[in-house]
Amino acid sequence: MRRLRLTPRRVAVLLAATVGLGAGVAYAATLTVGSWHLWAGSQTLTKGTCTLTGTTQSTDTYVTQATPNGTNGSGTTMLVRSNSASQDWSFVSFNLSSCSLPTSGGADTATLKLYLYSAPTSNRTLTVTPVLTSWSGTLTWTQAQSLAYGSATTTFTTGTTAGVTFSIPVTVDVDALIKNPSASFGWRINDTTGSGNATTTFATANNGNAGRRPQLVINYEK
Amino acid sequence: MKHLSKALGFALAVAATFAACAAAATLAIGSTTLSAGNASVSACTTSLSATRNVDNSGNVTQVNVAGIPTACSGETLSVTLVGSGNAALGSGSGTVGSCGTSCSVTITSFGGTVSAANVTGYSYGLTGA
Repeated sequence: MRRLRLTPRRVAVLLAATVGLGAGVAYAATLTVGSWHLWAGSQTLTKGTCTLTGTTQSTDTYVTQATPNGTNGSGTTMLVRSNSASQDWSFVSFNLSSCSLPTSGGADTATLKLYLYSAPTSNRTLTVTPVLTSWSGTLTWTQAQSLAYGSATTTFTTGTTAGVTFSIPVTVDVDALIKNPSASFGWRINDTTGSGNATTTFATANNGNAGRRPQLVINYEK
Repeated sequence: MKHLSKALGFALAVAATFAACAAAATLAIGSTTLSAGNASVSACTTSLSATRNVDNSGNVTQVNVAGIPTACSGETLSVTLVGSGNAALGSGSGTVGSCGTSCSVTITSFGGTVSAANVTGYSYGLTGA
C-alpha cells in the first residue's frame, strides 16, 4: 500500500471539493421561502374643492358681555372686542354635508374667509378657537361661557384698513371634522389681549353682498 | 495516486448527497443533476386603504392603515406617499401588531415634510413570514 503524498495539486483538489460541499449547504439555506407572505398594492385618491357660504351652509352670530342674555344672530355684521369688561366674541360654523365627503376623506387645506367690514382703530391680534359643543344663531354670552373649546387653531392680525378679506387657515379642524362630523362646531373669534376698546367688525351670512359673507374653502381628498 | 482518486471521489459523493438533501425542502432535485423548481409565496390580504391626518399647514402628520386581516399580524407594512407622475414624496413602515378581528398600523415618519395637497395616492408593500 502506497502512502498518499500531499502535493500542491492534491491540496487544491481537496480544497475545491470542500468548497463545493459548503456551497451546496449554504445554497439550500437561502432558498427556504415557501412560508413567506408578499403583497403589494396601491390606492388612488380623488381630489376636489368644496366652497361653503351663505345662510343655508353656515351659521354665525356674536355675543356681548354687556348684554349677557342678548342674541345677535340676525345681524349683518358680527363684532369682536377686547375690552375686558365688555367683550364681544364672534362665532361662525359651516355645514359640510353638501360637500358629500366620506369620513375616510380629509382636508388638504381649508381656509376660513372673513370680510373686514369695519376695521379697529388699532391693529389687533385675534384668536380662532374651535368650539367643541353645539350652538345656534341664538347663542348668548351666558350660554357661550358653558361651551367647550379646543386649543387655539391660529391667530391673525386685523390691520386698520376695512374692506379686506382675511384668509385664515383652519385645515387641522376641518380635517378632523371630515373624519368625525361631530368633532367640532365651528370657531370662536375673539381678542385675547383683554385691554383697549377697539372693535373689529366682520360681515355675516346675512350681509346683502354675497361676496362679503363668511366662506369656507376646502381642498379635499377622498 | 489511486487512493487519492478514491478519496476525492468519496468526498465529492458526500458533497453531492449533502447538497441534494439540503435543497430538497424547497427545490426539486433530480437524482443526478440539479433541476429547476419553485416555491409559492402567498399574500395575507388583497387590498388596503389608508387615511391620513394633517397639521394646520396641510402637512401629513400620520397615515393610518386599518382593516388589515389578522393573517398579516407580525408582518411589515411599507407605505409610500405618491405624488404626480408616481413620484415618491415620502415613505415609512410599521409592524402589524397582534390584534383581534382586524389590525391597523399608524405611521408617523415619512423621511421629511409632505404636503397633503401633493399626495395623489399610496403604495403598499406587505412582507413577512
